Amino acid sequence: MWRIYRLGLMALLPMNVLAIPVDPLNSVQWTTMYNRFLKDYPVQFDSRVQVLAPEQAENSMQVPLAVKVEGLQTIEEILIFADFNPLPKVLTFYPQQALPFIGFRIKLQQASPIRAAVRTADGWHVGGKWVDAAGGGCTLPSAARNSGVWESQLGQVQGRIWQQPSAQRVRFRVIHPMDTGLASGIPKFHLEEINLQDATGKTLAQIKPAEPVSENPIFSIEFPKNLPLPTLHISGRDNNANKIKAELIP
Amino acid sequence: MNHYFKSTPLKAQIASILMACALSSTPTVFAKGVTDADIQNDTTTPGDVVSYGMGLRAQRHSPLDKINKDTVKHLVPAWAFSYGDEKQRGQEAQPLVYNGKIFVTASYSRMFAVDAKTGQELWQYDHRLPDGILPCCDVVNRGAALYDNLVIFGTLDAQLVALDQDTGKVVWKEKADDYKAGYSYTAAPIIVNGKVITGVAGGEFGIVGRVDARDAKTGKLVWTRPVIEGHMGYMVDKDGNKKDNGMTGDAIGKTWPGDMWKYGGGATWLGGTYDADTNLLFFGTGNPAPWNSHTRPGDNLYTASTLAINPDTGKIVWHYQTSPNDSWDFDGVNEFIPFDFEKDGKTIKAGAKADRNGFFYVLDRTNGKLLSASKFLPDLNWAEGIDLKTGRPIEKAGMRPGNPSDAKDGKKGTSAFTIPSFLGGKNWMPMAYSPDTGYFYVPSNDWGMDIWNEPVTYKKGAAYLGAGFTIKPIHDDHIGVLRAIDPTNGKIVWEQKNVAPLWGGVLSTAGGLVFTGTPEGYLKAFDAKTGEELWKFQTGSGVVGVPVTWEQDGEQFVAVPSGWGGAVPLWGGDVAKKINHLNQGGSLWVFKLHAN
Repeated sequence: MWRIYRLGLMALLPMNVLAIPVDPLNSVQWTTMYNRFLKDYPVQFDSRVQVLAPEQAENSMQVPLAVKVEGLQTIEEILIFADFNPLPKVLTFYPQQALPFIGFRIKLQQASPIRAAVRTADGWHVGGKWVDAAGGGCTLPSAARNSGVWESQLGQVQGRIWQQPSAQRVRFRVIHPMDTGLASGIPKFHLEEINLQDATGKTLAQIKPAEPVSENPIFSIEFPKNLPLPTLHISGRDNNANKIKAELIP
Repeated sequence: MNHYFKSTPLKAQIASILMACALSSTPTVFAKGVTDADIQNDTTTPGDVVSYGMGLRAQRHSPLDKINKDTVKHLVPAWAFSYGDEKQRGQEAQPLVYNGKIFVTASYSRMFAVDAKTGQELWQYDHRLPDGILPCCDVVNRGAALYDNLVIFGTLDAQLVALDQDTGKVVWKEKADDYKAGYSYTAAPIIVNGKVITGVAGGEFGIVGRVDARDAKTGKLVWTRPVIEGHMGYMVDKDGNKKDNGMTGDAIGKTWPGDMWKYGGGATWLGGTYDADTNLLFFGTGNPAPWNSHTRPGDNLYTASTLAINPDTGKIVWHYQTSPNDSWDFDGVNEFIPFDFEKDGKTIKAGAKADRNGFFYVLDRTNGKLLSASKFLPDLNWAEGIDLKTGRPIEKAGMRPGNPSDAKDGKKGTSAFTIPSFLGGKNWMPMAYSPDTGYFYVPSNDWGMDIWNEPVTYKKGAAYLGAGFTIKPIHDDHIGVLRAIDPTNGKIVWEQKNVAPLWGGVLSTAGGLVFTGTPEGYLKAFDAKTGEELWKFQTGSGVVGVPVTWEQDGEQFVAVPSGWGGAVPLWGGDVAKKINHLNQGGSLWVFKLHAN
């Protein structure tokens, strides 16, 4: 009986393992990440998905990060996660009319792969990079928490549209403490949805930030040159339903 | 089910409702969300608790009787749930139960959804509070309201938040007012015909009390009614345009001198009740501001009053003021509970209120006329009684603190010793009414205070009192007393004393039981007829929350929050000796009968 049972188990195991591609970054968290975020669609590692980040985080509260995708068509979403963060999910970006590029900063709890998974009609295309970090980014209180001014400036937006040779670059900052809920006594408090719309209310792109996005985040995204952008409306909310609303004029 | 049909027609009716509940408890039916009918019928549907007060009349009486005088000795914990964190302050909430979930609010504007059977947390919402909130009397919250798929509660920074019952995600959020001016929100909202009805807190900071009605699904304001003479009410149409809806009171300055009405107080901090028979909301209003009454000669309408408001129009239909020109912080915010009784073969549509000032009032709820008023505090010393013709108190001489301008230095007036103290014959903690016994069960406190007045001027966001005070026990053996009162004659039928002040709500059941908690940590059950203590359980911290009961899968459950705090430890004066050993906590306890 035992033998049969074990044989059966062995027969099953390789099938499951085979479905998960071998992680080029060799992270012990990969299987967990795969099961949590990716398992509903086919997964392939793809060099067309680039994660741009420093080798080492100088400040674990503010690790600069950019994701750039080249040569993939009809992108549904770009999911960014960090394997070893206590809250691995960092952000989801729905480019829609935007180019498949996003830049911002994150909090990194310890050395970890930072990955971007790009979903197209044929499944997930995953790229990533190890970033070394001293630790502590996610479990520390935001700087605003100590300054006491977070509430008076909450939700203020500053931004600008730059015309570059290859794209129209939009860069904007939202004042928000982006507390993870992991620092003792400070509830989870973060932006959860940002919509970029044209003057008619049509959504051009959407960002859904999660807890690890840095305090007072600055987002960089790009629109194609041929998209008319006489004005850009930025709206959104945090998990307490505090709203943001702004309009960028070139 | 047999025993139901053998008993009275009323019970047979309840039994049929129970059966209807049992039949309808399938996920497809529950998925419709809480309806206005569910809320209106809350009293007679013991499978859930979908409103603060266990029904909009807030009688806090359940038709359930499996836990009764005979079986209560078998009542044991089913589970306990810890709120966690370092935020262990007063837990004054009444839980709600719907669709197998318990929704309970906690100190620091937190909300928990817990599986009603297992006590396992489903989700938690921690409202992000600014550092400068101005709650006068601890960082409490008294409960939520359910509507559709929403669970709605107010926060210490004066916001209303509607969460999805299943996920805890914020669906809408609206600012009730400016917390920097002293506004906050601690009461449980109520839902009447699709509108969420709320008051505001902040009476110690010179705010102006008001009652707001919003669309419960969107949070958009429908009407607002300030409760202080001279302030304009308005309605808001679908496009967000404000329309004048008449001034509150007869004329500016009629019962207030100068511009004192502008920061006149009257905080509606405890929320209200509703009666479908008369289609009236009943909201109590708080103390006039400042406390120093020499600055505001006149009745100061409508402070320290009960207001009857039409929920459709936002207009005041009648008012009854319990403490004209209040000098003692006897704010009249206490809940007004509609009930019917028979007199000379006629049904009287009445309502009762156990006021902060120590009198138990019975009014005709159709017109606000006084039917009777009696002392529920036997030691009450500031008035002889209430004049039945005028409805006004017959004050005793020398019971008001003196005018500071009469003092040589003009800084401090003469002191008066009054019973009750400003924390009241009864404070926020809701009483219950049993249609079975016909008694009200009033959590009261026997205590007095020295109070004196000082000069004061209004400054935004600063305490606006002009008074000093110290509370004193008046008996060695007790402060708290649970009293059963017969509203037909005002007599105290029985009383149960407690060493520490009572600060928790009361629940009555058809099992002939009355439940309430004590700061010493006990949840207790008493015989509703005799007051005999039949059961108690130590919850580990003081019980200042409000118990509820419901039935699930054929078993009756009782739930109560535990966690010592509230106004007493902050304002308690000499009372501290009786309470300073009590420890804080923060948990929800659920009880059921031991199997076999």
